[in-house]
Amino acid sequence: MRILDRPSLPAAPDPASAMIDARRAHLGILVAFLAPALLVYAGFTLYPVIRTFYNAFHTIRPQGVVEFVGLDNFATLLFADPTFWKAVANTAWFTIVATTVDVIGGLLLALCLFARAPLAPLLRVVWFTPVLMSYVVVGIIWVWMYDYDWGLANAALRWLGLSAFEQSWLGHPSTALWSVLVAHEWKWLGFNMIVFLAALHALPGEVLGAAELDNCGWFAKLVYIIAPMLRTTIVNLLVLSFIGKMMVFDLIWVMTGGGPLWSTETVSTYVYKRAFEWNTFDLGYPSAIAVLWFVIILAFVAIVMRVLRQRDRLEF
Amino acid sequence: MHACFATRYVAAVGLVAFAVLLGAVPKASAEDVTIEVWSHEADEPAKVAFRELAVKNFEKSHPGTKVKITWYEKNPLGAALKTALPAGKGPDVFYVEPDQTEYITAGYIVPLDDLVNWNNIEPWARKVWTHNGKTYGIPQEAYTVELYYNKDLLKKLGVALPPNAQFTQAQFLDLVKKARAAGMTPISQGVGDRPYPGAYITVEALLRKLGPDDYQKLFTGKLSFADPRVVEVLKWVKELADAGAYPKNFMTLKLGESHYYFYSKPGALMLPMGSFYTGRAFVPEDKGGQPQTFPLGIMQFPAMDRGACNECKTSTIGASFAINAASKQKKLAGEFLDAMSTPAMGKMWIETVYLQTGIKADVKNFSGPYAAYFTELMERQKGEKYFIGQPRDMVTGECKDAFAQVVNSGFPGGLLSVDQTVQMMNKACFKA
Repeated sequence: MRILDRPSLPAAPDPASAMIDARRAHLGILVAFLAPALLVYAGFTLYPVIRTFYNAFHTIRPQGVVEFVGLDNFATLLFADPTFWKAVANTAWFTIVATTVDVIGGLLLALCLFARAPLAPLLRVVWFTPVLMSYVVVGIIWVWMYDYDWGLANAALRWLGLSAFEQSWLGHPSTALWSVLVAHEWKWLGFNMIVFLAALHALPGEVLGAAELDNCGWFAKLVYIIAPMLRTTIVNLLVLSFIGKMMVFDLIWVMTGGGPLWSTETVSTYVYKRAFEWNTFDLGYPSAIAVLWFVIILAFVAIVMRVLRQRDRLEF
Repeated sequence: MHACFATRYVAAVGLVAFAVLLGAVPKASAEDVTIEVWSHEADEPAKVAFRELAVKNFEKSHPGTKVKITWYEKNPLGAALKTALPAGKGPDVFYVEPDQTEYITAGYIVPLDDLVNWNNIEPWARKVWTHNGKTYGIPQEAYTVELYYNKDLLKKLGVALPPNAQFTQAQFLDLVKKARAAGMTPISQGVGDRPYPGAYITVEALLRKLGPDDYQKLFTGKLSFADPRVVEVLKWVKELADAGAYPKNFMTLKLGESHYYFYSKPGALMLPMGSFYTGRAFVPEDKGGQPQTFPLGIMQFPAMDRGACNECKTSTIGASFAINAASKQKKLAGEFLDAMSTPAMGKMWIETVYLQTGIKADVKNFSGPYAAYFTELMERQKGEKYFIGQPRDMVTGECKDAFAQVVNSGFPGGLLSVDQTVQMMNKACFKA
């Protein structure tokens, strides 16, 4: 038997490599290396979360005076705060529509590039560029685009002879949320497109090739072959998108500030207003909103995962 | 031996990294004293120059002391203060406006009665910051709410300003209709980034109709918005809005943009605005300022039919400064506030910011390119009865939010009827 065929025996631990292997490292070394990251995590993530839960059950008065109020904040929130429910409705609507468009739109754009449509390299850059821009910049650009007098949207309508459809897009409750949603999609579709494109390129070529040999039409290929193989990616993007939309703040804050007449108020903008714009230092009530919303998001994510889960492992 | 060394070496590196992360930073030397100031209005060059000159003067008269101003936009400044102050942190001195009374009730700013020289401050301006017999802010900027207009456009419409510069409410409505018929935007105004400009016409009309006492009661929850006089005013404002008084982009037009809209593109007949208008308008034209030849005029807000106080006018304090209760250098901070409030600085404020001030300043004759403006502004103050403060100084919480969404935006924007406005404001503000 040649020496290479011998079953390998566990090698004697080399002291130098033991130091590098975290599983065998000395406790002191582990602590020294982990402590900074753990401290940062504890200080900037764990403590704020715990403190928010604590605040939710208290009224925070100035000078550090804290008064325990039990479930009062939650009772007010649920039964005596119509603005909160308006914000919940807006957020839910925004989340459902934007998540659906994000995933379906991203997939369609990716398929377009995957099929090597004309100008595909250029389109990939054009579609992805908005992802690199900050929400503030995107918000300002779209506020200009929607401006009644000099905005691109109304200018295009005028040019097409459709002046009757001119709108104050962000100034009317019936169009404001939709207008913000369009801006949001303009920014985010490119991200989903890139993720889907990467997943499409990772699909086994022999399966797709076999489908083509079997004269499988493009729609059947999409529905019966590509979509099932992209299931994990779709579920991951759905969950990520859902969480992001439930917490939407920046774009709405820049474009409408929650107006007109609370028609674009979301839970996040409402929390901010209650915390910083109501001439009060009480962080108890806004914390209660944040906690309740956290629980709702968690519950929805759990439900989505349960419904869509097979043997896939979600990665987020 | 080798492994042992390596272990110690790695542990040492880890500990050093840990120590750096914990913030082992060099300490300032004992003699360095720095006054931290957080200020708004970085976008107004004259105010920046004014405050930086005060810093220079103060540092010259206080060797070894430095003043560091950090410039913020208004909303981020408020958010930063609301997290810093409860934690016992924040700057020594910060920008504040009179509607931010929560700092006083919370005890986060100290009374300035014994910390600054009040001989240099106008008593009426000090009064704005006086709560329960104590004064909490140095009033730097004062302003009145004015109705600016374009003299040439008014002439073009064939309308002459009455001798007292005040139209009746019917004449004003006619003026708006005439302007719209002539293809002009009657009133440049926008609520894109502020919770108050859209309310100017409504609240000034309410002040004149109700008189100061009932006006105050209305915004402190003691008078119903269903009061017949209030409803009468709202109906008149509704007529204005329906006649197309405001620009179509009213909801998204920002404060600075509404100024530009008025004096440049596309141009408008009138602009209701605090006299702080000059801060942005009286800068060189290539920096977005008003053209030198712009025919700027000032008229009084219209007189209301059976108005209780048609000679009433809103005057208030804007930019002010307060001292953080957690500051360890309150005396020095007070001396810095004094350095910003000398009569010479007051004079400089008027001559360079082109705006009223709460600082006593001996400026009798105006000169320079804006002398005519100041003469007209002073003319419009003659015989007026001042109501000190604005609704946004009086409302808090839910009422403040409703004021911003309803009176400031939804109602003048034509989204709400009078009945809806009354109902929404009463629900949020009226404490029967």
